[in-house]
Amino acid sequence: MGSAHTRPLSDPEIRVKALESLLVEKGLVDPKALDELVDTYETKVGPHNGAQVVARAWTDPEYKKRLLEDGSAGIGELGFSGMQGEDLIVVENTPEVHNILVCTLCSCYPWPTLGLPPVWYKAAPYRARAVSDPRGVLQEFGVDVPEDKEVRVWDSTAELRYMVLPERPAGTDGMSEEELAALVTRDSMIGVALVEATA
Amino acid sequence: MDMLTPDLVAGMVATGATTRVDVEAVQRFKVGDEILVRNINPRGHTRLPKYLRGKRGVVERDHGVFIFPDTNAHRQGEKPQHVYSVRFSSVELWGREGSPKDSCIVDVFDDYMDRA
Amino acid sequence: MNGIHDIGGMHGVGPLEVEKDEPLFHAEWEKRVFGIFFGLAPHGYFNLDEFRHAIERMGAAEYLGSSYYEHWLHAYETLLMENGAITAEEYAARCTEVAEGMD
Repeated sequence: MGSAHTRPLSDPEIRVKALESLLVEKGLVDPKALDELVDTYETKVGPHNGAQVVARAWTDPEYKKRLLEDGSAGIGELGFSGMQGEDLIVVENTPEVHNILVCTLCSCYPWPTLGLPPVWYKAAPYRARAVSDPRGVLQEFGVDVPEDKEVRVWDSTAELRYMVLPERPAGTDGMSEEELAALVTRDSMIGVALVEATA
Repeated sequence: MDMLTPDLVAGMVATGATTRVDVEAVQRFKVGDEILVRNINPRGHTRLPKYLRGKRGVVERDHGVFIFPDTNAHRQGEKPQHVYSVRFSSVELWGREGSPKDSCIVDVFDDYMDRA
Repeated sequence: MNGIHDIGGMHGVGPLEVEKDEPLFHAEWEKRVFGIFFGLAPHGYFNLDEFRHAIERMGAAEYLGSSYYEHWLHAYETLLMENGAITAEEYAARCTEVAEGMD
């Protein structure tokens, strides 16, 4: 007999506890490996990685060229690689073009540079509207794209993963890479925000 | 490996599991081709969103050869084939409600389209 | 399949809701669900395409009415039982035990 729980478990809690305990008993999963995975994405892999990539691209034109030519190799130069980013493509925001990312079918997202996606990215409203009304979605996020600018929506239906290289804001001349990276938000690398000159 | 242990996690995360395969596959399209998306309605898995069916687009990029999810999801083989970035104008996709300057660029498998 | 997951362009699925300073996981069970995917991967019980399709097979009402990691959990249950890694009986029995506080 074990101790009673102090509050009723929710349905998913019950199922997950049951499932994990069965898988552990059958020698299929090591709970410590699960702990390690969670810790990896809670502390090591996240948008701070992508911010470094962006800052490097802003300050090193040759790196930017390589990054746009081959995203996986480009982020690999900074030590980022792997799961859900093995075949990465970086798309550049310019004065003429604004890029925004979505996965209408599920939740595909460039984990090595942005970590795990936020709930809104994976939920029905964004997935439904990003392709058919990107300007409306951007407006809700506070980004007004001028009528004469082009919006490109990238729907990651295959195993290519995408990341936006946002425009470097004015008023950032002379900033170090570290200072620039601190300005770059996750949302700017999805394409639902612009980078501001002050964090 | 039989079981994922904590010491193996970092390597797994850093390596990932690409579905790109180093085989030749018939490449039916090249950059610049105008295509028409097939009207397929499979009961099983597909990565062709229905908003693309019957729509016209332009091939912008060839990504190379990847495992085909539609068969792989049903253990019917990897059927490796080219995947392409195909651009669809907003007006083509959404008609009057589309915006003239905008487009959706979607990764489309070779099997999903024909020359327009 | 022409499932509810194929949602690009659909209307009426609700407003965009953005949680400020959203945590990576909203509950301990979500963390376990996340980790289990990679714990199971080496055993070859299912590939990523099968996993996605198991979620697509959930059914429209359940899909829209449940959260992201509940989708993953549903897929594990489906695939592991279809592959015989666990049986419906032992899973149900274990769920009952857990619910009664006897881990």
